[in-house]
Amino acid sequence: MGTRTGDESAFEAELQALVGQPVGRGGAARAPDPVNQPMIRHWTAAFADGNPVYVDPDAAARSRFGGIVAPPLMLQTWTMPTPTLDGIAERGGSPVEVEGETALSVLDRAGYRGTLATNSEFEILRYLRLGEVVSATTVFASISEEKRTRMGRGRFVTWVTTYTVEPDEVVGRQTFRILKFDPSDVAP
Amino acid sequence: MTPGLPGPAAAVVGDALPPLAIPMTATLIAAGAIATRDFMPVHHDRDYAAAQGAPDIFMNILSDTGYCSRFLTDWAGPDARITRLAIRLGVPVFPGHTLTYTGSVISVDVVDGERVVEVGFRAAGDLGDHVTGTASLTLPLPG
Repeated sequence: MGTRTGDESAFEAELQALVGQPVGRGGAARAPDPVNQPMIRHWTAAFADGNPVYVDPDAAARSRFGGIVAPPLMLQTWTMPTPTLDGIAERGGSPVEVEGETALSVLDRAGYRGTLATNSEFEILRYLRLGEVVSATTVFASISEEKRTRMGRGRFVTWVTTYTVEPDEVVGRQTFRILKFDPSDVAP
Repeated sequence: MTPGLPGPAAAVVGDALPPLAIPMTATLIAAGAIATRDFMPVHHDRDYAAAQGAPDIFMNILSDTGYCSRFLTDWAGPDARITRLAIRLGVPVFPGHTLTYTGSVISVDVVDGERVVEVGFRAAGDLGDHVTGTASLTLPLPG
């Protein structure tokens, strides 16, 4: 589409109205399980991370943390949804059934059907302890004007996830940015 | 901590972190994806990845941040506290590639009784920069 003059400002307004709105439906995503040693051990094994404060109670007790802490970059892992694996390929990799429109459908309809993740930034306010239950709330932070990119015309979409431990202590934030681009518009 | 390289407690701007080279395999990619609870088939199903136009399965972003965290604390030790990690995503990493993390200290400060060290780093694979970024960590002051 590109320059549909009459609808341009309405479309822009529709996009900018998303800022501050939740990404996805429902409220906060609550971790299906509290921070726990088995998932931490699984994670440290996957990355061959030998930091003893994650798995060795004695070493952790001698450290500044005084006890076991979760790897800080596991923050996002705790609130990942429990997937329905049946049909996941047919759903394009979506871990759970998503019915109807998502906020990003607005961009898909405007031709920005491609998705490329570009940035992930974590702010870790404190490390998590065994037994804590994390929740995540994600809102749109910004949607850029249309840019020329090497993938074609596109818009950068940024959302911010705030991670809390019950009742409402903020323990970290994640800023995530994707490029939604028009795959039919090959850059010169 | 690697002998011969300056430790984090004495870090000065320009110090290099010990490089971390990871020969990437399908097992590591799938293990990282599942350990981070990312079940997208492009990270464990080669046929699915091929249907999406990729030559093989490729590493997920949560594994990227996992390896970044390991790269930082392999150097900084168990008393380091990571307070910020910002990465920019580049080209993908496929099985058979070697992913090599390198980095150096870009600032050192003392704030609220802690040493605050900022590190700039990159993780390069066979196709070029896979991840570039910066991170901040804090360490207790000695004594």
